[in-house]
Amino acid sequence: MLCEQCRKREATVKYVEVVNGVKTEHNLCGHCAARLDIGPFSAMFEGEFSLASLLSGLLGIQDTEKKDGKLAGVVCPSCGTTYEDFVEGSRFGCADCYSVFGPLLGENIRHLQGSEKHVGKRPGNIVRAQIQREEQASVGDGNDTQNGDIIRSLTKEEQIRLLQTRLKDALRREDYKEAAALRDEIRSQKEETE
Amino acid sequence: MAKWYDVPGNMDSNVVYSRIRLVRNWADYPFPGKMTREQSLELTGQLCERIKDVGSVEGLKIRYGNLHQITDLEKRALLERRVINRSLVKKSDPAGLFLSDDERVSIAINGDDHIRIQAIEKGLNLSECYRIANAADDYISEQIEYSFDEKYGYLTAFPTNVGTGLRASVIVHLPMLSRKKNFNSLVADMGRFGTIIRGVFGEGSENYGSLYQVSNQKTLGQTEKDIVDLVYKAAAELDAQERRLRKEALKQRPVACADECYKSYGVLKYARRLTGKDSMEFLSQIMAGVTDGILVTDEPCSIYSLVIGSQPANLLGRAERPLSKEELEVARADFLREKLPEIH
Ligand SMILES: [Zn+2]
Ligand SMILES: [Zn+2]
Repeated sequence: MLCEQCRKREATVKYVEVVNGVKTEHNLCGHCAARLDIGPFSAMFEGEFSLASLLSGLLGIQDTEKKDGKLAGVVCPSCGTTYEDFVEGSRFGCADCYSVFGPLLGENIRHLQGSEKHVGKRPGNIVRAQIQREEQASVGDGNDTQNGDIIRSLTKEEQIRLLQTRLKDALRREDYKEAAALRDEIRSQKEETE
Repeated sequence: MAKWYDVPGNMDSNVVYSRIRLVRNWADYPFPGKMTREQSLELTGQLCERIKDVGSVEGLKIRYGNLHQITDLEKRALLERRVINRSLVKKSDPAGLFLSDDERVSIAINGDDHIRIQAIEKGLNLSECYRIANAADDYISEQIEYSFDEKYGYLTAFPTNVGTGLRASVIVHLPMLSRKKNFNSLVADMGRFGTIIRGVFGEGSENYGSLYQVSNQKTLGQTEKDIVDLVYKAAAELDAQERRLRKEALKQRPVACADECYKSYGVLKYARRLTGKDSMEFLSQIMAGVTDGILVTDEPCSIYSLVIGSQPANLLGRAERPLSKEELEVARADFLREKLPEIH
């Protein structure tokens, strides 16, 4: 009998599972049995991408890295993830892993992602911190930079979100005149994006 | 409240639904894989408390539940309905789930990443999914500090999600296109444009029911809008190609096409026992028949609701007692006989 997974090799492992009263028999080759996540729904494709094998393939764990030993022995001081752990599971243990392994994996991340630089959305606190930094910097320069200049350095979406935060703030202060002006500004910004 | 998949959608499209997923992590903790059980418990409890009003953003009725306190069967039923992913089914550490009554919006806590926001809409409507997921994300980002890096963007456990943390997916029904000899090369072509196509239901390399998911491959170096546009275009293209083939087939052999649909309807209407594979194949025929206007139902209906309802864990969940393999097949036939819409 052929292995029900790969349909190439001879089935040598018979596995009977009973889950919630449902009995199913599986016939697998040794190779597939070792890799199989045995469960009645393992055949249902995962909606997410683990891409583990793809990444491990890209990283070429086929001993090349181990031989030159460049990366072997690198450990993230924050969470204890080793380079070998990463290659095996294709996952990082904490935010710091990105700075520990990132420079070593830069090429692979680029290969996998086609880029190394985020250009999308940023969290509100990061955007606000940037505005604050720029405001302080402009005070230091002695330049009377207009708020507008700083706002223009943000993406359109960030501008809108910033205005929405200011609108909420204005409403809290019951400053309805400013709120109305902000609401108009948000509307016109949104129209521009459409 | 009716679940999103029970609500009749646009009946003349091959696009079943659209989905946006955003993954985020809390800067105060290591990623879930490196957390102790105590940390997991703490993070799950803390997040559950801090973002408990997340429903207010969209006026959604959202409920919270601890995933480690529900049965394995319930978890697998949620997996079949695409509410949670496989790693959460397997997880025994504390984890949580915010879920809207209609199951359109969910926020999973402590899966592969601390936070996984998901929004689903029927039909090709990624922009609405993104609008909702984005609003939930804005809300959460004001309650906790995210792991974020100026260079890499949102930091995630898997580097395959880093940057935007965004996965845009569209589920398309492609019964004819997927049978074409050049389907594999089409899939490869789409890969070169940065999208991935994979089967949704099936076993091994076999696909049951011709439902395919097209998603973005990359998450870094593109804006959210670019990613959403890319997947939208790919899905619209697949839908258009499928439509063209079906129109052609319908013109060339109308009797054969109609015969297949009516036979499938007849089987589901009268069968006393159905395997998962068979039910998916017949439902696929009916789905195509309804989309092409061959089968006209008395009322607008959702065939996808039958697809979900006939999956094993959802059938077992309704059975209230363990079923043997044969009993499960009987339960599946009973379910479909009862739920199949009337046609005229
Ligand atoms: Zn095998
Ligand atoms: Zn680390």
